[in-house]
Amino acid sequence: MSEPVRILTGRWREPDTVWIDRYLETGGYEGLRRALAMSPQEVIEVVKASGLRGRGGAGFPTGVKWSFVPQDTGKPTYLVVNFDESEPGTFNNRELVERDPHQFLEGAIIAAYAVQSHTAFIYCRGEFLWPGRILERVVAEAYDRGFLGRDILGSGYDLEVVIHRGAGAYICGEETALLSSLEGYRGQPRLRPPFPAVEGLYASPTLINNVETLSNVPHILVNGPEWFRGFGPEKSPGTKLFSVSGKVERPGNYEAPMGTPARVVIEEMAGGVLGGKRLKAWTPGGSSTPFLTAEHLDVGLDFESIQAAGSLLGTGAIMVCDETDCMVEVTRRLLQFYAHESCGKCTPCREGTWWVVRVLGRIEAGAGRPEDLPLLDDQCTNMLFRGFCALVDGAVSPMSSSLAYFRDEYEAHVREHRCPVTGRGPGLVAEQGAREEAPAATTVPSWADLAEELG
Amino acid sequence: MSVEPEPVTLTIDGKEVTVPTGTLVIRAAEQLGIEIPRFCDHPFLDPVGACRQCYVEIEGQRKLFTACTTEVAAGMVVHTQNTSELAHEGQVANLEFLLINHPLDCPICDRGGECPLQDQTMAFGPGESRYIEPKRVYRKPIPLSPLVLLDRERCVLCARCTRFCDQISGDRFIEMFARGAGQQVAIAAGEDFRSPFSGNTIQICPVGALTASTYRFVARPFDVHVADGICGHCSAGCNVRVDVRRGEVVRVLARDNAEVNDAWICDKGRFAFRAADGPGRVTTPLIRERGLEPASFDEVLGRVAEWSRGARVAFLTGGRLADEDAFALSKLARVAFGTNDLDHRRAFHGGLAEELEAASALRVTYRDVERAGAILVVGLDAEQEVPILHLRIRKAARRGARVFVVHSRETRLSDVAEHLLCRPGQEGAVLERLIEGGAAGSDEERVARALRTAEGAVVLAGSLLAEHPLATDVALRLSRRLGAGFALVPRRAGDRGALRAGVHPALLPGGRRLAVASERAEVEAVWGELRSSEPGRNGREILEACARREIDVLFLVGVDPLRDVPDAALARRALENVPVKVVQSLELGELEPYADAFLPAAALHEREGHLTTWEGRSQRTRPVRAPAGLSRPDWEIFAGLAEAVGAPLGFGSVEELREEMEALLAPREVSERPTAWVGAGVPQWLDEVTLFTYPLLVDEGRLSEGASELKAALEEPAFVEVHPEDAERLHLADGGWARVRTGAGEATLPVRVSSRVAQGSVFVPFNQPGLEANRLLSGRFTAAATLEAVPGGGEGARGGEGIAGPEAKT
Repeated sequence: MSEPVRILTGRWREPDTVWIDRYLETGGYEGLRRALAMSPQEVIEVVKASGLRGRGGAGFPTGVKWSFVPQDTGKPTYLVVNFDESEPGTFNNRELVERDPHQFLEGAIIAAYAVQSHTAFIYCRGEFLWPGRILERVVAEAYDRGFLGRDILGSGYDLEVVIHRGAGAYICGEETALLSSLEGYRGQPRLRPPFPAVEGLYASPTLINNVETLSNVPHILVNGPEWFRGFGPEKSPGTKLFSVSGKVERPGNYEAPMGTPARVVIEEMAGGVLGGKRLKAWTPGGSSTPFLTAEHLDVGLDFESIQAAGSLLGTGAIMVCDETDCMVEVTRRLLQFYAHESCGKCTPCREGTWWVVRVLGRIEAGAGRPEDLPLLDDQCTNMLFRGFCALVDGAVSPMSSSLAYFRDEYEAHVREHRCPVTGRGPGLVAEQGAREEAPAATTVPSWADLAEELG
Repeated sequence: MSVEPEPVTLTIDGKEVTVPTGTLVIRAAEQLGIEIPRFCDHPFLDPVGACRQCYVEIEGQRKLFTACTTEVAAGMVVHTQNTSELAHEGQVANLEFLLINHPLDCPICDRGGECPLQDQTMAFGPGESRYIEPKRVYRKPIPLSPLVLLDRERCVLCARCTRFCDQISGDRFIEMFARGAGQQVAIAAGEDFRSPFSGNTIQICPVGALTASTYRFVARPFDVHVADGICGHCSAGCNVRVDVRRGEVVRVLARDNAEVNDAWICDKGRFAFRAADGPGRVTTPLIRERGLEPASFDEVLGRVAEWSRGARVAFLTGGRLADEDAFALSKLARVAFGTNDLDHRRAFHGGLAEELEAASALRVTYRDVERAGAILVVGLDAEQEVPILHLRIRKAARRGARVFVVHSRETRLSDVAEHLLCRPGQEGAVLERLIEGGAAGSDEERVARALRTAEGAVVLAGSLLAEHPLATDVALRLSRRLGAGFALVPRRAGDRGALRAGVHPALLPGGRRLAVASERAEVEAVWGELRSSEPGRNGREILEACARREIDVLFLVGVDPLRDVPDAALARRALENVPVKVVQSLELGELEPYADAFLPAAALHEREGHLTTWEGRSQRTRPVRAPAGLSRPDWEIFAGLAEAVGAPLGFGSVEELREEMEALLAPREVSERPTAWVGAGVPQWLDEVTLFTYPLLVDEGRLSEGASELKAALEEPAFVEVHPEDAERLHLADGGWARVRTGAGEATLPVRVSSRVAQGSVFVPFNQPGLEANRLLSGRFTAAATLEAVPGGGEGARGGEGIAGPEAKT
């Protein structure tokens, strides 16, 4: 077993690290002091040199993103922290905020300084009641100690922070939908261009970063880019906080250098598949990334290696399915999530997810037809890259990959009118199906009914 | 300085096209005649990319692109469904998605036969669906207002309707609610879709989700006759299509014309189409024997000619005459009757500004408004008076124009404009201060600077300016000072055409002054020598002369002085004292007891003709059906009358008439000169408060007769609007009642306390149910007034009619 690396989670094992005194005792806000001693441009250069890439899913180089924010536009520049963590299986941002919130806040202040923003918004997922309360307290602490507000640490630099709570929509993690929501409009994505860096919040230059990304920044400022590059592979430096869930012995967040083989994270850190069963499928980066199988366990968990294996690193959320899981059911459940979370703006996402949930549900319930499988293949084609934003692409990932890797399971459902994995017969399956379908069937009309009552 | 965008050349389906930078691929394809299917795209709305129907393949790109959101680039190679299998398959798949939850109720859907979803499915879509699951169902339909019904099952969520309300009308009553497949158009609880532009959402709906209560289950596209017309409700000149089924008008739609109405019309234009089919319509000539009895045209015209021979004759018209009618009348009065006592006006601007408007056309256009850097609106409530101009001003504001309004009441431009509120009649003083640059640090200084520094400013002056005899020319002078365009914006559809034609006591066709020999001679060269070079009486003076029995025969052409003239008492005295009254109209209405002869006129959609917009643009309107009964176009009646008096007008066809018009109505230069004091009377604004009035869009006007759905949606009962400080001083409470007294009469009205109205002013609408405001007026649209609270007043009336009726005190 390799020695664990602890950068982002360095303070987690100590007591009371949530609040500012302990944070300061353990070297907190040293990164900010160093940043304020440099010019904003120098800070951007340091982060660029570190090779840090965004942890929200897309993996865009963070320093480059910062350098895209134009200066002297005559408009204010905004920093928005995307803490709308909603990707199924993903809970690393949440724990980072619950256990060491000043770490990302310090990173956010450094980022704001680097792009010369004087107003930062933290967009907090609506369901995150407790993390939201922690945020309120730590922001107040930072103001009290002079890390926020006017003339931070005597540098002459000012920054105000506003915490904004979402209203419970997955789509608001998409950056342009997040901005719409933040402005008080419906959380639906906007056309790009203009890109947020140029015309984001209130049509002003806006930098949007993820909590985990920002959590890395103070360490880079303190230890230097070379130190950061000492972890992980050349193109994906640093560590990553992997959220492991599903059929494993010890679900949780595990920090490991980028490029660590999945087997190490799943089998060593998370204790292996629950009950010693056989691993059947896993996602490397949340539900929006294609499933991988036991064959891929030795692939390194970094952007390039995972992509080469046919999936995406995404948020680093590893969800594990074992041999007793029915992949049709797993896929249907995931698609139900996307159908529920589709914002409704564009046709392929709104109608496509509605349709495939019904087809998958029917197959699961033993009422599949042979033509349903080519139909699902077609829908994968008709939805992928056809939507307004990437939500629908995420919805296709579990469907297309499970159809590719577990086609025999689908075919067996259709052929035998029962589940070949769980052995559930048509009656049981139908009953199960009806129960499971109920939310899907009623969810949508219930919105309608609500609106009906309203007007 | 606006710079023309660089041209870009690209290839679509193998054909090259050159378009300006920034053009969307879907627009570039249209220029090549290539149709790409679409639902959410609309040329007058911002791109949204929601429906995903317009996929095209772009060489070098791995994904399909939506043509409605993709801007052209130099050298771009685009393949539409015509040349790309991938694009075609993408479009078919998208249509399949759109149809899975769309009900198959086309056979009973109003849209059937003219439905973009139906048409594009047939043209570009799959033959059949693979969807076998249950469809999404909703209660159908739900009313958004008495005019607009929403059937959510049919909705494809393209958001054209909600974007129209957001981007064009600014009346954001409807919005998308919920999400995913449950997303739907909805309205806030307890709200009605109370926008005067709501009907446009029905027309741009690409499916049958929004339908009109006036047209539901009424007709099919293949059983209506249609004709291209011009809306006759105001001077906007909206291009419309009129649909007639079995002889009855059943629908009015907007036609696209980017020079005039873009793609929009107001709800009055769309839904008030029954006036000519109402029970009051008279289509037979009548002559008073024992009572009013039917007779032939020849008989009635003969008798009218007899009465008029050697008599003192005067003509009053309303605002509905077509250009041809106005011209024929101008000639009839002067050539056949030798009188200059004719007028079409309700507001008397007089002065150089009016003469300019009479002499020329298109000095300021919709396009000029749209592209203006700054717009000053004076004495005009554009939304209520000329709604499509209101939309154009909003469009300009969206493009960055600064908009300022000088008025006694805040208009619906309030979200895009800055208002300088003043007491009625004092607009001229505000304008004078703007000319001088405004006092240091004042709002006027700031506004004057904004106007002065703007790129291309426009001054739009409304009829309330005529309340001060000099104000209109002051507005003109301001525009000159700013180098800005200037337009007088009349309210009614026939106003500008009548002014151009010289239905005016002092101006001949083309704004030529009767009193100036050289200008008169230009008209005499065509019409022959005119009997009198003395300017005649204006509208008010004609009525006064009638009351004094100085006129023998009064022709009332499309006008009801009892309702239309801002002095009901004078109108009644005039009608009671003038010996002969000849009514030429679509109906008799309240004039029945007075009329000695009635000449039935054809409705606008029953005849050929032109109407002139506020800009001076003369637009052709075509008949959709024959004139009802024996009715005739007004100009034909005038021609017949001229024959009867033995002085033929000289044109037997509309072509001959237009030839003569074109000769006299070519735009002329007008010589500059200082403005003289003109018009009638002195403004009277010095009293407790100044009452002012103008007509609201949806009122008891003749042309809105029968428009019950429109009135249910938008018509407000009469009220009096009072500024909070005046209300406090006068002990008036919002929702309470006030007795409003003027020199002419009094009325008890519900009070609205609102800072929308200027302090010292009270507003009453001109012609709403519960008040004919001209009973409170003495010749102007303003009057000195006193208000007193009526404790519990009208309490009894509130349950029944809603308001206590006005009690005339004369």
